[in-house]
Amino acid sequence: MTDTHKLLVVENLATTFATNAGPVPAVGGVSFDLGENETLGIVGESGSGKTVLSRTIMGLQPRTNVTVTGSALVNGFEVVGASEKAKRQIWGTEVAMVFQDPMTSLNPVMRIGKQIDEALRVRLGMNRSEAKTRAIELLELVGIPSPAERYLAYPGQLSGGMRQRVVIATALACTPKLLLADEPTTGLDVTIQAQILNLLDELKDRFKMSVILVTHDLGVVATRTSRIIVMYAGRIVEIGTTREVFQHHRMPYTRALLESSPKVSNRSHTRLTTIPGRPPNLANLTKGCSFAPRCGYATDRCHEERPELRAAVEPGHFFACWNPLDNEQGPAQ
Amino acid sequence: MSENLPLAGDLGGQGLFIVEAVTTVERPEKNEPLGVLFWLCVGWIGLNIFGAIFANILPLQNPLFEDYNAISVGPGLHHLFGTDDLGRDIFARVVYGSRVSIAVGVGAMIIGFGIGTPLGMLAAYRRGRFDTIVTTLMYVLLAFPAIIATIAVLSFWTPRALTKIIIVIGLASVPLVYRVIRTATLNVATKDYIVAAKVQGATDRRILLKELLPNIAPIAVSFLLIGVATVITLEGALAFLGLSVNPPTPSWGNMINEARTVLAQNPWLVIFPSLALCLFLLCLNFIGDRLRTHFDVTEIKL
Repeated sequence: MTDTHKLLVVENLATTFATNAGPVPAVGGVSFDLGENETLGIVGESGSGKTVLSRTIMGLQPRTNVTVTGSALVNGFEVVGASEKAKRQIWGTEVAMVFQDPMTSLNPVMRIGKQIDEALRVRLGMNRSEAKTRAIELLELVGIPSPAERYLAYPGQLSGGMRQRVVIATALACTPKLLLADEPTTGLDVTIQAQILNLLDELKDRFKMSVILVTHDLGVVATRTSRIIVMYAGRIVEIGTTREVFQHHRMPYTRALLESSPKVSNRSHTRLTTIPGRPPNLANLTKGCSFAPRCGYATDRCHEERPELRAAVEPGHFFACWNPLDNEQGPAQ
Repeated sequence: MSENLPLAGDLGGQGLFIVEAVTTVERPEKNEPLGVLFWLCVGWIGLNIFGAIFANILPLQNPLFEDYNAISVGPGLHHLFGTDDLGRDIFARVVYGSRVSIAVGVGAMIIGFGIGTPLGMLAAYRRGRFDTIVTTLMYVLLAFPAIIATIAVLSFWTPRALTKIIIVIGLASVPLVYRVIRTATLNVATKDYIVAAKVQGATDRRILLKELLPNIAPIAVSFLLIGVATVITLEGALAFLGLSVNPPTPSWGNMINEARTVLAQNPWLVIFPSLALCLFLLCLNFIGDRLRTHFDVTEIKL
């Protein structure tokens, strides 16, 4: 894996928001990398920094009250500190993004064809008819029936699933090498979710691109990613291959996450397992492990000293915990 | 019976059934029609504008001609709305008077929107220091009553002319326009599709003109119509105070003002210009209001 060219190298990336309550480290020093044609899952609760992380990699921050440190190299381009003008060079062609809610990520007063066209004409310099042909191709590629007619439709005339397909088509317009999908299925019906995920999977191979799948749903990442990052309170608490994380996770938080996803094999009306407590307030993090207050295995050391990522048995598997779960314990029940 | 319901489930043996309601939600493809009253109002405004533009060509009497043989006559065949105490035809004066009102209404709003829209959109899109400075400035101006400001400026900026009135009222309306446009843009600018357009490589100019502007247009248009009505009222008030166009040029406001002194003897002099002013404003407000609800894309309609 180390031999292959790294499409994305993130090093000690931190995003801090200045608020009235003091600085909020939404992402607090994250490092990982991503090879070509690889799918990486980023999981965590709401507020664990997944979305901010993906937006930071994209180079999307509010214009004020935010500081980004560290480094995020997208195919050799340093995103951190780059000007908007410079980032425009990689947006679309190197890195693209699929947003969470297809209801708000399409302009309601613009025909969908035109929204795909724009990128093609601005970024790739196509003329009107070339762009139209390409846009219709893209619509067909993402599985929109009678694309030539839909080209003229307004977003309001399409269902949620169709709209998300259009959003994916716009993201793919300039054949990006890296696609960031920020909870791409949260706004959709369960039946549509699988379709969209399968579509992303299929397009990933077709376009030879890498995908970062940000989600809170472990079921989404289980079969579609090669590696998983588990985030908590803006930090990576466990990282490893999907198989390793599911079967030999060492971090209690990962287990808690796995346990709280409902299983089909459960008897009906089984109570959902929850993680007690709430995610910490990022504005005043304790010096110890952020998960310690909610962790059943926490010791004094956990409250005093923050564990750094350390290697597990399997290469490429790292976790941040003083009292890791026994490797032989197997998957959580 | 419950066995026949495929969606019914027993909830903890309490004999409660949950049946998933299968409702069909009507999805209107088009918004409801605008209504007869709306088109009547549009017709009336159209008629007024037509009259204002073609007053010279239309078979009207000279609004400045003083007919000493017909002083203060009531409405009749020869003088449709009667004449004033100088023998001038009221109907002609009302039609010519609409020129001033419409010119001020439209002209001032062109200035107001011409400055207020770009400023408001830029401030809402850029945020940061630019937004803070401009918004503070506008709120300072808003705190100052527009009518007092216009009266003060027009009292000293002599000789009075229609263009000066338009400029002063137009500038006074900038903060109002700015506030509406900025708020509308703020609502849209935070939407994901704006971010999506940005990451597709769209320039700021493109986002402002092609993404933001069409989305705030419905709000802008309805506010424009209501703004025209407000500005016409303001002109009426200024004319009533003798600060609008100089007599004998008729305007609805100064006609009401001049007739004030002979109100008891000849009420027609006040009634007709007032009626013209009222109807015009009522129609504008109604159209603006109707358009606002018509274009109001709510979640329910989606």
